[in-house]
Amino acid sequence: MFQSIDLNQGIRLHIRTTDQFKTINFAFKFKHELTNQSASERAVLSNVLLHSNELFPSNPAFRSHLDELYGTIMYLDSSKKGSDHFITLLAESVNEQYLSTGGVLDQVMDLLQTVLFRPNVENDAFKDSIVKREKDSVIQRIESLYDDKTRYAQQRLVELMRPNHPASIGANGTKNDVSAITTESLFAAYKSMMEEDELDIYVVGDIDVEEMTSRIKNAFQFKARSNAKQKNQHQNVEHLSVEKNEVNEYQDMKQGKLHIGYVTPVTFTHPDFPKMQITNGIFGGYPHSKLFLNVREKESMAYYVSSSFSSSYGLLFVLSGIDAGKQEKAVRLIDEQLATMQKGDISKNEIEQTVAMLKNQLKEALDSARGQIEIYDQYKDLDEAFSVEAWFKKWEVVTKEDIQETAQSIEKQLVYFLSGKGELSK
Amino acid sequence: MKELHFKQLDEKLYHEKLDNGLEVYILPKKGFSKTFVTFTTKYGSIDRTFVPFGESTEMTVPDGIAHFLEHKMFEKEDGDVFQKFSGFGASANAFTSFTRTAYLFSATDYLYENTETLLNFVQEPYFTQETVEKEKGIIGQEITMYDDQPDWRLYFGTIENMYKEHPVKIDIAGTIESIDQITAEHLYTCYETFYHPSNMLMFVVGAVNPEEMMNYIRENQNKKEFKEPKPIVRSFEPEQMEVAKTENSLYMDVQKPKVYLGIKAKETTLQGEEMMIHEMAIQLSLELIFGRSSDFYVEAYEKGWIDESYVFDFTLEKGFGFAIIGSDTSMPKELIEAVKKELQKVEEKWPYGQDDLDRVRKKKIGYFLRALNSVEFIANQFTRYAFNDMNLFEAVPALEKMTVADLQQSFASIQGEKQQTVFSILPKKEQAKS
Repeated sequence: MFQSIDLNQGIRLHIRTTDQFKTINFAFKFKHELTNQSASERAVLSNVLLHSNELFPSNPAFRSHLDELYGTIMYLDSSKKGSDHFITLLAESVNEQYLSTGGVLDQVMDLLQTVLFRPNVENDAFKDSIVKREKDSVIQRIESLYDDKTRYAQQRLVELMRPNHPASIGANGTKNDVSAITTESLFAAYKSMMEEDELDIYVVGDIDVEEMTSRIKNAFQFKARSNAKQKNQHQNVEHLSVEKNEVNEYQDMKQGKLHIGYVTPVTFTHPDFPKMQITNGIFGGYPHSKLFLNVREKESMAYYVSSSFSSSYGLLFVLSGIDAGKQEKAVRLIDEQLATMQKGDISKNEIEQTVAMLKNQLKEALDSARGQIEIYDQYKDLDEAFSVEAWFKKWEVVTKEDIQETAQSIEKQLVYFLSGKGELSK
Repeated sequence: MKELHFKQLDEKLYHEKLDNGLEVYILPKKGFSKTFVTFTTKYGSIDRTFVPFGESTEMTVPDGIAHFLEHKMFEKEDGDVFQKFSGFGASANAFTSFTRTAYLFSATDYLYENTETLLNFVQEPYFTQETVEKEKGIIGQEITMYDDQPDWRLYFGTIENMYKEHPVKIDIAGTIESIDQITAEHLYTCYETFYHPSNMLMFVVGAVNPEEMMNYIRENQNKKEFKEPKPIVRSFEPEQMEVAKTENSLYMDVQKPKVYLGIKAKETTLQGEEMMIHEMAIQLSLELIFGRSSDFYVEAYEKGWIDESYVFDFTLEKGFGFAIIGSDTSMPKELIEAVKKELQKVEEKWPYGQDDLDRVRKKKIGYFLRALNSVEFIANQFTRYAFNDMNLFEAVPALEKMTVADLQQSFASIQGEKQQTVFSILPKKEQAKS
């Protein structure tokens, strides 16, 4: 799919040439260990690098330039996966063949180089007013979680299950850690990103591979990374116990948010991962799943009820919005669906539907440039080369007994319920 | 079948109007492995008062019925339609907007089986009082979910402030009380009136052979019998030009205030190319005044009046239209004053020239070209454009023709203080203090 080459130790370039899209996509993924501090610094750093640079020292000048480049999209994104934090610099520009003017791609590549290598700094520090404003923005982003009850409830569940653990550390860090950032500490974080982070560079579009490779080599001269890791070896996940199995919290709201956390030994690098994908699909991954059919359609209890598998941490979650007074019944119904799977009540039809959906999802995801980059990036750390056909085979061989066993490995750990009930009783 | 070639965009669109009136469009996309298919009726939440098919007097149906009907289409005597789509590896979905109800799927295999499922389930209604009653619990939870979403409340609060009579002010899903009145008979009445093929459009985009697909759809439709179409008579109360309320607010459990300035459009009658130019001219004007490169944005961001939630947007359909500008903000007064001042300035003296237009035009052309990578965007937007007699693929040429005078002229539709309203969501803890 992609042609990959090592540009330097720990610096890899992955290029894919295709005429499927009307745009050319770039992604630079900088990887660093995930901690509250690193996430906070890198969230603010992403904003500051996107504010301005040496050539465009004000934000409107930078933005106007992007407008002139036919609305080229350029942004930095702060995200996490497993125990790693990622800063991703993304750019998408229109392929010149659809435009009356040329030179856009050259200018976009120049701008990417500028954003990374020529930041808006003075005396080895970012500018105070910019840092202060962007710290506020990130703090507001962290605070806004509270207004989205589903995201808030999910965050609370994971915090209760895995306090001070990568699973519960947010990609934007914490308010305290963001507040503690100085112009100097942020510059140090920038230096470390540019000089020490492992880096994967992706280019997708109607381009000449050799020409693009040499242009990237010339324009982006990153030093060798001394601490570059090898591929992710599978390590067994260690699950911690929790203090309580049930936590109820209250806010001023109408709907009850039921979030249930489960643990399983299976993770992304575990050989049983494909079995878990199917097990999760039958449990609550799709509209043909047991949760959807029984909790929503049969009992009319919920508009949404679904399960999702967090493959980095070996955690599984069920999320549902229900009437605040129906917590017990909902938990019982959800428990029953898992129990039937553990007893082996799994039909051939359910397996076939789920495999068909997984296949479709994977192929569909590859129909966007971002999808191609993300999937390749996720699977590249596995021992074998990624291919659609290989994953199709892994799903096709999974049997009913495999699914039953996998379901038996799922253990409920914590029921979290956020509702407005407490307000009413006051 | 007609072939339309858009050379500049390197796209070929195939079109046929079938004997039963159904408009079918097919757009093959090279390199794609998925196909996205939408089947849409020109029927949305605003269509609440109309003359039912085959009758002569108009009736008003309970609020939220178009959305309720959308839910109920998926249930058949032999079970849930999702099951069928899953069996053929397709992700199916549907949505109801102010003006449309769309049923859709995407699939990378079994394209014809899934297309048949889509055509058949939308054209074979099955409602019983029992299944209707059962759905009320599910939709009730959907309504409750939206009730807890401050951004949704903010959006609808703003629309309610602007409109006095027009049903755009009614939440698409209705209320728990309004959906409680819905019966199976209502659903059949709405279905008969609005789901005739002559009121619908099918769009197929992605990995598809246009000739084969057109034949397949035509054959499927020729096998079915439909009544003679009759013109649909919808009825709307006259709506005043100015906003209904100039200010309103709601207390919710949020961290900081959220505020929108809503601007009610005066011009809501255009269709076709005129509408396309008018709509894009207003969007470009808003980009100049409130976009990321504007003086307004710089000041508002530096002073902390806005954060990353800042939005500005313009919506236009036949019969209603509005702009919104707003953000989460700890300084709602300052933000609204600044927005109003900016609008006042533009009203007094139009400040933008050719260079400004060229810049935002380039940005918008880039936006369209980027969006043409998305089969979902193409199908949904094409349908919306077509229902207003516009062609999505004419957007770039229309942009190229746009003049500064167009911007200035169209912008007049959202000028004037009487068009403006403010809606805010305020933190409950502030209510307790006051």
